[in-house]
Amino acid sequence: MATDWPTSRLEVLNEEPLVVKNPKTWFHIHSYGGWGKFFKGLREKKLLATRCTNPKCEEKRLWLPPRTECPDCWHDMEWVEAPQQGTIYTFSTVKYPGELFKLPAGTHLISVELPGVCTKPMSWLKEGEPQFGMKIKAVFNTERPTNTILDLAWVPA
Amino acid sequence: MIKFGPGNLRIPKFERPVYVVAGGLTDFRKRYPEKNTCQLCNEALRMAVEENDLKVDPEQYRRMVNWCVYSQFADHFGDQLLAAAKIHDYLGFDPLGNVEVKTGGATGGTSVLAAAQAIASGYADCVPVVGWERMDEVTTKVGNSYIASAACKDFESELGWMYAAYYALMAKRYQYENNVPRETLAKIACKNHEYAYYSPFSQNPGKYTVKEVLENEIVSDPLSYLECCVMSVGAAVLLLADEKTAYKLTDTPIRLAAICGGSHTLRTADRRHMPILLLPNENESTYKDYYGVRRKEWPGFSSFLAARMAAYLAYNMAGIKDPVEDFDVLETHDAFTISDVQTYEDIGLRPYGRGREFIESGDAYFGGRLPTNLSGGLIGTMHAVGATGVFQLVEILWQLQGKYDKFHGDPKLWQRYGKTKPADWRSLQVKNPKRGCAISHAGTGSHVTCAILERP
Ligand SMILES: [Zn+2]
Repeated sequence: MATDWPTSRLEVLNEEPLVVKNPKTWFHIHSYGGWGKFFKGLREKKLLATRCTNPKCEEKRLWLPPRTECPDCWHDMEWVEAPQQGTIYTFSTVKYPGELFKLPAGTHLISVELPGVCTKPMSWLKEGEPQFGMKIKAVFNTERPTNTILDLAWVPA
Repeated sequence: MIKFGPGNLRIPKFERPVYVVAGGLTDFRKRYPEKNTCQLCNEALRMAVEENDLKVDPEQYRRMVNWCVYSQFADHFGDQLLAAAKIHDYLGFDPLGNVEVKTGGATGGTSVLAAAQAIASGYADCVPVVGWERMDEVTTKVGNSYIASAACKDFESELGWMYAAYYALMAKRYQYENNVPRETLAKIACKNHEYAYYSPFSQNPGKYTVKEVLENEIVSDPLSYLECCVMSVGAAVLLLADEKTAYKLTDTPIRLAAICGGSHTLRTADRRHMPILLLPNENESTYKDYYGVRRKEWPGFSSFLAARMAAYLAYNMAGIKDPVEDFDVLETHDAFTISDVQTYEDIGLRPYGRGREFIESGDAYFGGRLPTNLSGGLIGTMHAVGATGVFQLVEILWQLQGKYDKFHGDPKLWQRYGKTKPADWRSLQVKNPKRGCAISHAGTGSHVTCAILERP
């Protein structure tokens, strides 16, 4: 049998040294696994966190982003709705985001402090100018969900 | 981890002494199409073996090696899985065993730790550590996106796909808590760009004023381009050995007195509060007017528990009582100006809340009490990630061996990289240094190693 030469080719960008363009066009199939409940919760305007159910575990903190197993005792956690009002812990305006960012340059990133939650989740401010300690409330992208963490944002309360 | 159990703070020890004998580098460039990765690693290895006044020839050295450690941050960048196998082959080390280490930005430090563990345990006598990164196959924007996939991809990466932004969040909070002026941060950038100016290896040298740094374009508020590390292509090699082998190789081996690692959550968001872990130069009274008074949370967003852990273990392992007094030269992982100030505190150069004083006092400069990043650091010279932690220790080694001028002042070396040695070049060789330290750092503090080199 005879096999013909390939029909697709690598484009030559430079002859000396020889530099070629190697295209990458596939996608990854990513499962959120046990954390999927959190992302589905956003569709229903719910902010779902988790708490350890082990009666012997010392810290009964609320984790957001959620963890399905307790980092202190490895026990299962239960899903609990987190408060949707909090304050801005810190912020930055990203002028030069990386490739794949779905929001425009100039978006305000924030870290959020929520009562009873032991973390300060990273998110973004959809309206207004960020200040330390500014009161904010959660808003949810139910119109055109991206199915990412960007479906949660905050606005001045 | 909040509460330490009896095993958690055990001070590491080596079963036998570990030495560093030689180092080699390539120059570092934004794009380096002239050489493939195997060639870059070969070039750095050859400098280590052929240009460090070793008492053996390259062939003899090859016959002494019994284990190799490879240091590369991201397979994404090189687009070659198992790159270490290919490089190991091209360096002519087959069929010896090897391992490739991965701990993000701290990969270089952790690779040296892995080599030290092999030697200290008796598993190996003679180990080269080869580090590299090839970051020029993609655009800078895609490169930043690749780096941001070393943030949590489920809950953080989508928020900017940009590590500088994650550091900017910390920078803002640090400024808010500790009132550090922008000018102080800018001074760190000026210092490291200037020191890079004296290095033939450097990618982004320059003599900038504080005003120029402050007026430079912003990447993510408050950090400007000149306050962020470069994205590089290049390689670095460090040769380690046990005592007997070290003295066979050179008359001036430097002892690796300690190298220890710490870690913390990948997401800054998840860092729970705990009492401050005290270093040998601190005690309860150090923070009586600070922690719980001016500052409510530690480590929070302003401190790196991983760096504090690494320093705690390494200082106790090497018998360091006061880092500013006991070290003569230091390399920090200055990925961003803000992370440098944070690190000054984490490794005990100043107490928490007073990191700015280390730079403002002049301590951090050449001629100061603890000259820092005389190599030009990540801001001025290089951040070819897998090579970075190795590069830092190569520069510290050369300082302790009195070889700064040999490797930075030779006009022929400048020519090798197509550069001209500046007419106003000056030597940054520290006078008779005894002990040096290097901090290798990943993520927003996910992994940190602290290495201490000491003249025997
Ligand atoms: Zn638990």
